[in-house]
Amino acid sequence: MTVATSTALLEVVDVHRRFGGVHALRGATLSIKHGGTVHALVGENGSGKSTMLKALAGQLQPDAGTIRLDGEEVEFSHPTVALRRGIVTVTQETTLAPDLSIAENIFMGHRMERGRLGIRWGATSRRAGEVLDRLHLELDPNQIVRRLRPDQQQMVEIARAISMDARVLILDEATSSLTDDEVESLFAIVRRLRDDGVATVFVSHRLSETFALADEVTILRDGSTVEAGPLEDYDRTSLLGAMVGREHEEPPVRPEFRSSESALLSLRGVSVPGAVQEIDLDVEPGEIVGLAGLVGAGRSELLGAVFGLYPDRSGEIRLAGESIRVRSPRDAVDHGIGFVPADRKGQGLVLTMSVRENLIMAASCNRPRMLRPSASAELPVVDHALATMRIRTASPNAAIGTLSGGNQQKVALGKWLAAESKVLLLDEPTRGVDVGAKTEIYRLLGDAADSGIGILVSSSEVPELLAICDRIVVMFRGRVMATLGREEATEAAITRYGTGHE
Amino acid sequence: MSSIENTPDTSTDTAAASAPARRRAIAWDGFARYGAVLILLIVLFIVLSLTQPRFFTKANIENLLTGVSILWVVSLGMTFVVLTGGIDLSVGATLALTGIFLSKMVNLGIPGGVVFVMCILFGALVGGLLNGVLIGRIGLSFFVVTLGTMVGLGGVVSLWSNTRTTYVDSSFINAIGINRLLGIPVPIWIMVASLLVALYVQRSTYFGRDVYAVGGNGDAARLSGIRVSRTLVAVYAIVGGCAALAGAIQVGRIGAASPEVGGDLALNAAAAVLLGGTSFLGGVGGVSGTAVGVLFIGTLQNGLGIAGVSSFWQQVVTGVILIAAVLIDRIRQSGAFRGRSRVLTTEQPSAAGA
Repeated sequence: MTVATSTALLEVVDVHRRFGGVHALRGATLSIKHGGTVHALVGENGSGKSTMLKALAGQLQPDAGTIRLDGEEVEFSHPTVALRRGIVTVTQETTLAPDLSIAENIFMGHRMERGRLGIRWGATSRRAGEVLDRLHLELDPNQIVRRLRPDQQQMVEIARAISMDARVLILDEATSSLTDDEVESLFAIVRRLRDDGVATVFVSHRLSETFALADEVTILRDGSTVEAGPLEDYDRTSLLGAMVGREHEEPPVRPEFRSSESALLSLRGVSVPGAVQEIDLDVEPGEIVGLAGLVGAGRSELLGAVFGLYPDRSGEIRLAGESIRVRSPRDAVDHGIGFVPADRKGQGLVLTMSVRENLIMAASCNRPRMLRPSASAELPVVDHALATMRIRTASPNAAIGTLSGGNQQKVALGKWLAAESKVLLLDEPTRGVDVGAKTEIYRLLGDAADSGIGILVSSSEVPELLAICDRIVVMFRGRVMATLGREEATEAAITRYGTGHE
Repeated sequence: MSSIENTPDTSTDTAAASAPARRRAIAWDGFARYGAVLILLIVLFIVLSLTQPRFFTKANIENLLTGVSILWVVSLGMTFVVLTGGIDLSVGATLALTGIFLSKMVNLGIPGGVVFVMCILFGALVGGLLNGVLIGRIGLSFFVVTLGTMVGLGGVVSLWSNTRTTYVDSSFINAIGINRLLGIPVPIWIMVASLLVALYVQRSTYFGRDVYAVGGNGDAARLSGIRVSRTLVAVYAIVGGCAALAGAIQVGRIGAASPEVGGDLALNAAAAVLLGGTSFLGGVGGVSGTAVGVLFIGTLQNGLGIAGVSSFWQQVVTGVILIAAVLIDRIRQSGAFRGRSRVLTTEQPSAAGA
């Protein structure tokens, strides 16, 4: 450390937190010695990062352990307590009121008042302008937030943090919906704040961003801090190794895909107004085709269009050469198309039901509804899925909610394998699952492809697409920018096309 | 190599090991959800039997049961609607309407048995085509739609009946309300039969599963190929049919079709379903709990009546217990909420749970 100070700015010491039977934090420690640094907090999903950040923001209270600010023990019993002490969190979703002006949003929690009822509008606007100037943002304080780009909204959130005299700025996955250019301008601001003495805690699932921005790093694994130190002591491999607790395993490389020149799924001129335009795309049997692009590039909408989610979809969908009519999810299911949505809990699974019922849901959707579900027909299918997919559950009749994220995701995928789908559409297939389960899901997708299923998979994690796809289609603003084969597909190429460059 | 035990694989095993306990907590038609009300019902029953000599007599128990038979039948149907996350406010109006329909058909000289079947089909059609189509197919809010049909059908009832009570002279219909079969009043037989059918549909058909899936997560159900709108049309048709069956019992019991019946039926049925542990968010609960809820309301009414307590007190007590039941559920849920939020954000703590 450059400056030796007796007391650290912010210290989290030996914090524990249980959720029911799960020990989410078990002796986690974080120490930010002084302001003017960017501190990365890294760890796998489930390592306790979110819990740690919530404890810092006062959104939950630890069961044991202490948080010290300037050496003084503090208790963040409520989010406003943390805010008053200058700890401000900016997350991926903005918490701005979209129909109010930038100035109103900036001073929402601490309005400049005149008497009991009045608001000093002039001063509000002027002070907001000062804050924006400090961040070198050329925005009109009176502009309505809804009209801003996502990154600009993110900036307004940071401006609000600054206006509250933030000493510690927490960026929790704040970059995940931003383009590279936008991320860069966000980073410029964070660096400016660093020079002004603000400490930033930075969490991102993109390691490249962590390396680009952070000075120090704290690594969480299984709820405890395993390592901490200057980031320059680490490279990608050693950081991943420390996160996982063993040698980082790169997913198995798929053998070269040999084109059979016969498309299983063909899209011709598929459009959804306002989302995707004139998409032509082919998926061969046994092929895994990736959809890359920024959040908002139309990847999810394209998958949804194929699955019949949008009545205003135009264009043609062909299955094994024959044009098919897909006007509802049921039509798609009847044609042997399966869809694993990105929002597993909101759309993928019925959490109030059992593993068995979720697994068999798609396979049994065309049975006569007044029939009795037959255990002798269902259980072999369910048992087979549980065994081949290595789904860990106490019993097929256990509530799906009792499973870990990775195992839930396997069920969301498994219901289509049980339904013997010919085409699989997957949106963010490994969102919110840990590294071990990720590798298993890649293996399952590989096995499914080997059995002749055509797979179209959308992901915002480029390394994931590079690992599992035979071909990658890069989208930008609803259009296909490029189709990259194995050799052409690199992270750099995908990023270039994905941000709209030819 | 101590880190080996911290691999995600181990953690998922841990999560699975705690599964039986969680499963019990989430089991949908589980006893746990209506156990408290059942115990309260048993206690109430015993206290009334010991303190009120006129309570535990064959005549009074028959009276109690036939008294709740209308609520029972409607509440069973209502359970399916509530399981999908909805509610049908129009059951009272449907009951009155089907009663008028029944009297008109009988007065046309159609045989009672035929009219009875027609009446139930008529109720199912009204429920399915009005509420079901507007809610399930067009996607309007169940509250707005059934509020509208409640008011609208109420008007139709008055117009069609000229606000006059019509006597129904049909031995078949009267038998439904009054006669005995093997020494037990027919309405009680209808209660038993309707509970058995409802239990079968709920537990042993794909349709029953669809109802839970649609209520548990309509989006996920739709994306799995389940015909959500058809399921919704069906549950509103079912509750309509149940209201018509209750309407026939009503007409049979008083021997006449009155336009003034069914006023607070929807809310009483909703109360019974809620007391029985079915979640108003849908996807959790079941008809056996509803049966307990109806019996509880019926026993309270009957017992307090015998004890000479004003029926207004009975309303107060029902209201208090209803809110208490929901409150207890909420407290239990908030205990489980920490556990639930754990489940909902499994990717966060589950790996940490190793």
